[in-house]
Amino acid sequence: MPRAIIDDADGTLALLRQSATQFAARHDGPSGLRSKRAQESDIDRQTWTAMAEAGWTGLLLPESLGGAGLGLGEQAVLSEALGYALVAEPLALVCVPAAILLANAPPSPERTRLAAGLASGDRVVVPAWQDPTITIGRDAAGLVLNGDLRFVDGARSATDFLLVVAGVEGAMLLSVPADQPGLSVLSRPGVDGAAISSLSFSACRVATDRVLDRRDSREMLLRGPLLQARLALAAELAGIACGALDRTVDYSKTRVQFGKPIASFQAIQHRLVEMWMDAELACAALVRAVERLSAGDGQEAHLAVLAAKARAGDAAVSIGRRAVHLHGAMGYTDECAIGLYLKRALNLSAAFGQPESLRLEFVARERAA
Amino acid sequence: MAEDCNALSDEAFRRLFRDWVQANCPPHLRNMRKQRPLFGEVADWYRALAQKGWLAPTWPKEHGGMGLTPAKHIIYVEEWGRLGCPRIPDHGIGLVGPLLIQYGTPEQKAHYLPRILSGEDVWCQGYSEPNAGSDLASLRTAAVREGDVFIVNGQKIWTTLAHGANWMFVLVRTDRTAKVRQNGISVLLLDLKSPGVRIRPIANLRGETDFCEVFLDDVRVPAENLVGELDRGWTVAKSVLGHERIFLGAPTRPEYALGRLERLAEARGAFADRAFVSRYARLRLDVYDLASAFERFANVLRRGGELGADVSMLKILATELYQRITEEMLTIAGEEARFADDLEAGNEQIDAMNLFLDSRAPAIFGGANEIQKNILAKAVLGLPG
Ligand SMILES: Cc1cc2nc3c(=O)[nH]c(=O)nc-3n(C[C@H](O)[C@H](O)[C@H](O)COP(=O)(O)OP(=O)(O)OC[C@H]3O[C@@H](n4cnc5c(N)ncnc54)[C@H](O)[C@@H]3O)c2cc1C
Repeated sequence: MPRAIIDDADGTLALLRQSATQFAARHDGPSGLRSKRAQESDIDRQTWTAMAEAGWTGLLLPESLGGAGLGLGEQAVLSEALGYALVAEPLALVCVPAAILLANAPPSPERTRLAAGLASGDRVVVPAWQDPTITIGRDAAGLVLNGDLRFVDGARSATDFLLVVAGVEGAMLLSVPADQPGLSVLSRPGVDGAAISSLSFSACRVATDRVLDRRDSREMLLRGPLLQARLALAAELAGIACGALDRTVDYSKTRVQFGKPIASFQAIQHRLVEMWMDAELACAALVRAVERLSAGDGQEAHLAVLAAKARAGDAAVSIGRRAVHLHGAMGYTDECAIGLYLKRALNLSAAFGQPESLRLEFVARERAA
Repeated sequence: MAEDCNALSDEAFRRLFRDWVQANCPPHLRNMRKQRPLFGEVADWYRALAQKGWLAPTWPKEHGGMGLTPAKHIIYVEEWGRLGCPRIPDHGIGLVGPLLIQYGTPEQKAHYLPRILSGEDVWCQGYSEPNAGSDLASLRTAAVREGDVFIVNGQKIWTTLAHGANWMFVLVRTDRTAKVRQNGISVLLLDLKSPGVRIRPIANLRGETDFCEVFLDDVRVPAENLVGELDRGWTVAKSVLGHERIFLGAPTRPEYALGRLERLAEARGAFADRAFVSRYARLRLDVYDLASAFERFANVLRRGGELGADVSMLKILATELYQRITEEMLTIAGEEARFADDLEAGNEQIDAMNLFLDSRAPAIFGGANEIQKNILAKAVLGLPG
């Protein structure tokens, strides 16, 4: 029921939402997650290709780089609609930061190649930037990497990695082919079934023409990509919250105990209303973040994105928890999709900053200003 | 075997029980990740208890039990939990035994009780049905008398460990015309090896198959397997859990989870974070006070009294607290709360996600918390229905 209401003068957002919904009808979200878990995979190539054909893997990439050149409103609507249906391909986790990292980099043949591959779906271009313990050395042939990066989504399916690393020469954005000698991928199961990986580099050699961008600090490279990825995650989480709510409202209207639908008990009605309010709040926070960030990436945008990601994460997880409970023993089964909503919410809520740390960052930022 | 545990002081019994468990519960079975291991996985522990005569704490001695008073039983359960002993398939010990001891015929007692103690029979509980959960009295599985058998048709669901059991005690409808739905229900003992029984395990949120669907298709149950009076099974079933209702609200799970949270927090340096300490302090005192509330009800039993409806409050407090503690574990896990598997904490593994998911269940089973609140509203506060 609740939805992010974003200004949509020419109706393009409504159309996009509709095609995402139709897409979800053809690519069932819950069964997609289940097969990821069974195959220990992170991206379903068939669904991915279909998303690329729809223009979604390169949605935020400028048209000059082969992308759709659309904005944050479109990304939010798309991510929300996919979250609602639990279609769990990592657009928000992978494509959004990849697109912004590439869009922000200076022109180069390597950038052109990767951007085109990202948009067409021919290549799976995966950013890796978290918890770096990387050292960068040099030899005659170029750079030599040692160390690890963590929490990489889509790594098992990647054709190319975009590393955001720093060394004595400053911070850089590096493109590394997934099959580069000296690079290994170590995966663990995510709570929702999609694999999450670490990259481990051991004397991994990277030619200098693969340096896509250089800045003084990793923060400068990551600032834009992280803002936009968090916003897209907030949208996906808001969608998950709304999807779990709607499923639970439907279920409680049809589940009969004591001779009537359980939705007729006031204790349950109040709980559903509280869940609905939480979902509405998440959508409102999301819309504010879309508007602020579309207007520029200043302090206002930062605060709004932090608030939206925190709010949507909490809403999705807490609605998921209550939804499971309201489904009774059915909710505690693996067969019922409501548990997958909770698990997906847990995963994304903890990704790229969990609510508690985002709230602390909000207050620290606001008070520093 | 010969010691009279009830004659010991509480402390003496606690020491005796703890020392023996320390020496006899196989270390590899301690703190098992599985909530509901199958008989074969814990058979060594089951048999060790049986041999010592300590398998059935509440059964009278004449039936091979310990005959513990409720006060001593509480100590037994507390120490079991603190020492991390695995749960055994305990429907036979905890439910079928008391049921038969109270309502069974001499033949039923003589036949079934020893087979529970030996582990020969493993029992499961067939109450819930797809359309009879919180509203158990609406159950529809029908038993029709034909000569000296009942013909049973219907379906049970959420039957814990049915796939590891060979017997099920089952609530069936024997009178469809009864005006009050609770009248017209009977308890039968059903051999799961009978023709017409089909069992399908159901995977739970943690990916384990603890419970099952049990389909009953023209299953023939000898008439002598009726327990108690015909059509009076509701009263029979309800009265079995006497003082044991206190354990639904025992602080054991919250205490265990808090210990895990503490380990994780120490390993992550979270006690240096004042915001965490403040949240932890609240949980710590919630556990502390839950133990006080538990004592309040335990004292009723120690004085020889009986529990009232008010004991339901413990179940609500304990299950919700268990949930909140596991939620805090995910908070301090940070980005690592994304994983399904265990977290490293020094040289230990902490199963934060496993506990988080596990904590969803106790708020649902054993009478969902909303149902407990309805009971409290009516029976304790006397609110109008
Ligand atoms: C792990 C596990 C193990 C189990 N093992 C067994 C077993 O071995 N044998 C067995 O027979 N059963 C077993 N059960 C079933 C258990 O007894 C039922 O799940 C429980 O009675 C609730 O029924 P339900 O699942 O059908 O939920 P429902 O009754 O459908 O309830 C759904 C939701 O509605 C709420 N609700 C229902 N009625 C009201 C009301 N009047 N007012 C307000 N809220 C209401 C509930 O609290 C719940 O949140 C098990 C369940 C679980 C989860």
